[in-house]
Amino acid sequence: MAPDPLAASGPAPRALGPAPGFRLEGVGFAYGDQPVLAGLDLTIGDGEFLCLLGQSGSGKTTLQRLLAGLERPSQGRISWRGAPVTGPGIERGMVFQDYSLYPWMSLAENIGLALERSDPSLSRAGRRERAAEYLDAVGLPGTARKYPHELSGGMRQRAAIARTLALGSPVLLLDEPFGALDPVNRARLQDLLTGIWREAAPRRTVVFVTHDVEEALYLGDRVVVLGSAPGRVIGELAVPFPRPRQRRELFASREFQHLSATLADHYRAQILDAMNPTLAMTGPGEGL
Amino acid sequence: MTGTVRPRRLRFRLPWESALFILALLGLWQGLTTWAKLPNPALFPSPALTFRALLASLPELLKGTRASFLILVPGYAAAVVLGVTWGLLVGTTGWLGRTFFPFARAAAPVPPTVYIPYAIALLPTFRLSAIFVVFLGAFWPIFLNAAAGAAGMPARHRDNARLLGMGRTAYLRRVVFRAALPHIFTGMGVGLGLAFILLTVAELFGASAGLGRFVQYYADFADYPRMVAGILFTGLVTLLAMGLLELVRRRALFWIR
Repeated sequence: MAPDPLAASGPAPRALGPAPGFRLEGVGFAYGDQPVLAGLDLTIGDGEFLCLLGQSGSGKTTLQRLLAGLERPSQGRISWRGAPVTGPGIERGMVFQDYSLYPWMSLAENIGLALERSDPSLSRAGRRERAAEYLDAVGLPGTARKYPHELSGGMRQRAAIARTLALGSPVLLLDEPFGALDPVNRARLQDLLTGIWREAAPRRTVVFVTHDVEEALYLGDRVVVLGSAPGRVIGELAVPFPRPRQRRELFASREFQHLSATLADHYRAQILDAMNPTLAMTGPGEGL
Repeated sequence: MTGTVRPRRLRFRLPWESALFILALLGLWQGLTTWAKLPNPALFPSPALTFRALLASLPELLKGTRASFLILVPGYAAAVVLGVTWGLLVGTTGWLGRTFFPFARAAAPVPPTVYIPYAIALLPTFRLSAIFVVFLGAFWPIFLNAAAGAAGMPARHRDNARLLGMGRTAYLRRVVFRAALPHIFTGMGVGLGLAFILLTVAELFGASAGLGRFVQYYADFADYPRMVAGILFTGLVTLLAMGLLELVRRRALFWIR
């Protein structure tokens, strides 16, 4: 791995002790009497790229929805830059796994919805122009008049990112955004996302939910591991790799493999813990 | 990667099986009436006789169509506008749903034909009462389907609207309406069929012109060639109206594969 002079002092936002962006104190959430999250404490720095790693059922999507303001916590407090999060806001944009776009609107119209909000003074023609610019920026030139069903999954996710960028939010919440993509597209979009994040000044705060250990390590400044039933923080890791990260060299490096194995063990232990009761119940001869 | 969206090709192709079936029906009609003379020829006019009657009464039928449409179009249009608007509101607003749905469940299944005599007594003109009955018949299926479509809309559409900070009217118009559109078209199809039925039934009660009135009038004179011609013509008009609706539906729902 070639040393990067710009990153000599380690990952910059962490080393400088970032101003708190999100602050979560004792956050709990339940659907009915089913606890999903409990006693969750977490601080996310302003400008930090945080990856939330957890198996399904760990409440990582719920946590994401709480940050977005789509749900309200049943216990505890969540604040963004000191102000309590009470609902969705233009400062927090979100990309879902595969359904951020309205299927009956062209890409330009979808992005136009965000522009109407972020820049109400724009004319219709101005919106169309800006939408095309955002599409160019995510590698989708000339697709403004296309509809989501005419695009591949990877292209749809690019357009979803463009829509969220058009909202001008300092926070990007991404909920397994590349989970439904093939490996090639997934890698491309990961690089697109980190590129967009690195280029902006000041940097956006990114909260990226995934269940892929390598994805989390490759993208994040920090990886927070969520345990399940109910979801809570069971571990976290400051990612030591300088940026820009070179995928091939990084994945081949011993340190990456070591960290990835450590995280995976941590993560797998959780999955096994969660499975144990099930295994015990379906012992030989039982149940059938 | 450039280019515009091509609207899907809109065309109706009659499957050969169906064409054959229609030909067979016509043949049976011709055979029974002309060669076999099985049914009473006074009651069952031959195809030739019927088509001659159809041609002869075409001006009258067209005038009747116009009179019928002056009832059908306002009644149906009002049902679409009010049914969709009210349906979307009731389907998305919790307390409105709780207030109105039980009532709708009780009121919707009442056959609207039972209102015809009362509507005629109540409203000043026949045309108004017929419009009202057509409206009632078409309203319920459209309303119920719009409400079901709005209530059953995937939660993600709402999440996205909230994330984009969309206002209530924009949300109803640009998200809920579009998401409920497949349901709305189902309701509009059922509503259109009912509207035609109610229209022709209402015309039996006191119209001076119209498709139902035409059939009724010549049946009273036992002019069965004209009566059958009127039935066939009414069927054709209904078919065309349904086809038009289908055309609009495919256009509007281009985004559903």
